[in-house]
Amino acid sequence: MTVIAHQASVAAAAAIRRRTSRQRKRAFLRVAEQLVLVLLAVIILFPIVWMVMTAFKSPRDVYVYTMWFQPTLENFSEVFNPRWRIREKIINSIVISVTTVIIAMPIAVFAAYAFSRLAFPMKRAMFQWILLTQFIPAVTIVLPFYVMFRQLGLLDTYAALIIVDLAIVLPYAIWTIKGFIDAIPLETEEAAIVDGAGRFRVLWDIVVPMARPGILTAAIFCFIITWNEFLFGYLLSRQNVVPLSVGIVGFVLERGPVWELIAATGIIITIPMFFFAMMIQRHFTKGMNLGAVR
Amino acid sequence: MTQRRFAAILLAPAFLLVAFTTVYPMVTSLWTSLHVLNLAKSVQLGAFVGLENYQEAFVHDLEFWGVMRVTAVFVVLDVSLTILCALGIAMLLLRAGFGKSIVRTLIILPFAMSPALIGISWRFMLNPDYGAFARTIAAIFPAMRNVDYLASPTLSMMALVSADVWHWAPYFAFMLMGGLAAIPPETQEAARIDGASNWRVFRDVTLPQLAPVLIVAIILKSVFALKVFDSIVTMTAGGPGHSTTTLGFFAYHIGFRNYDFGYAAAVAYILTGILFLLSLSYMRFAFRK
Repeated sequence: MTVIAHQASVAAAAAIRRRTSRQRKRAFLRVAEQLVLVLLAVIILFPIVWMVMTAFKSPRDVYVYTMWFQPTLENFSEVFNPRWRIREKIINSIVISVTTVIIAMPIAVFAAYAFSRLAFPMKRAMFQWILLTQFIPAVTIVLPFYVMFRQLGLLDTYAALIIVDLAIVLPYAIWTIKGFIDAIPLETEEAAIVDGAGRFRVLWDIVVPMARPGILTAAIFCFIITWNEFLFGYLLSRQNVVPLSVGIVGFVLERGPVWELIAATGIIITIPMFFFAMMIQRHFTKGMNLGAVR
Repeated sequence: MTQRRFAAILLAPAFLLVAFTTVYPMVTSLWTSLHVLNLAKSVQLGAFVGLENYQEAFVHDLEFWGVMRVTAVFVVLDVSLTILCALGIAMLLLRAGFGKSIVRTLIILPFAMSPALIGISWRFMLNPDYGAFARTIAAIFPAMRNVDYLASPTLSMMALVSADVWHWAPYFAFMLMGGLAAIPPETQEAARIDGASNWRVFRDVTLPQLAPVLIVAIILKSVFALKVFDSIVTMTAGGPGHSTTTLGFFAYHIGFRNYDFGYAAAVAYILTGILFLLSLSYMRFAFRK
């Protein structure tokens, strides 16, 4: 009896020990996980916070490795000093991005609807071909366009930048919007067709309103892409249509780059993009990985 | 109106635009790469030289193979680090928990920043005298004091890779989170009940099921890595020497610094060929039913 009782108590003690060791291990893992999480947040935030701080530093503090300084708004007013021509560059960026999006959206909605709803020969091949154009390096595109625009006198014009930006944006837009139209149930459209509505009527009055979140997501995506676009702007503009994303490299004086102004301009460039990216967070991967996760 | 005709009307604008903005330059680039065209001398297309521009790259230009090596090193480092970090972040953030939703929102921030801006910020922060990165690293590792990162071929490559990983890892983390969420949890639970350790569950159950998404992510990231341009311009300008000059930046350099558009088109076409092969494999994996 006592032996059995003893054995039972030994087993129980071992079980308790095992459980506590497992609990301890789990607690340790939880703490480690939290630490990694904090480290990750620091790595993400450190460069951003540092650039934001730099934007509010006086030129003297920029060259000091410190987080304590007297904040100033002077850099933001200096950025708008006419000598840097930042106001024009902001307007250029807005004109280029907005025009690109406005031209791309209807074209993309039409194409996306055709790919989603209609049957026609070579549909799959055509769709893949449009996506494939995404893989062409920008350098290959910019060389012939540079020569052509130079001959046509279109270098340093809005038209040149909008045309090449459309090339990058359109496949994304078609893909994103097609995904949304695919998800709309067919019944309403079929009912409207039975009622004798014309094809364009169905597209305009039924599909477009229902796909509005998708169109909005695609529009924001395209806006972010063109707003941040650098290569085409860098190579195809001279002084009249330089976009903001390229203008940021222009803050250079004899003493070198003016970091506090670069940082301040960086904030002006990025804040609208942060805001837009948050808006479409849910569709983040959907629109941009071109069918990776289906 | 027949369905076919309606489709043709709807697709026409998109096709005309895509043809004009991609097919036309692709064909022109190919044609240019077979000719002499030096914008410093003449805007007119020069003599037809056949494959001489390609021969120049593969046989005569001593810089070309150095650039190919730099490109290979950059792509391998960049892709492996981005995907590893993304996988880690995805595993970490997958389950709900305090702090995780905050971090999940935070990791969008790097992606919304333009690579050109990231490049110029990195250059600022790597300055050995006052740069925040350089000073922080020196505070942790005193041996690294006074190291000029962008003056060293190896370290400037690391700097370029780190900027690109910082920019892209969050995006691929989202993509892998989608893949992880699609794995039925029963399979992992079954393995755990059978006494498998966390590591074994990850290696033998989770990873094989994630493989299709992972392969697509790796191909896609390789494509993005080969197309990196903005951060090279604003951070290293391809230097020191040619130590961070990748193939795309090299083509730009030949075209827009030396004005040798014929040769630049040939180099750009070599890059296009590599990307074309990658994109074909991408299509195969991404569109597999």
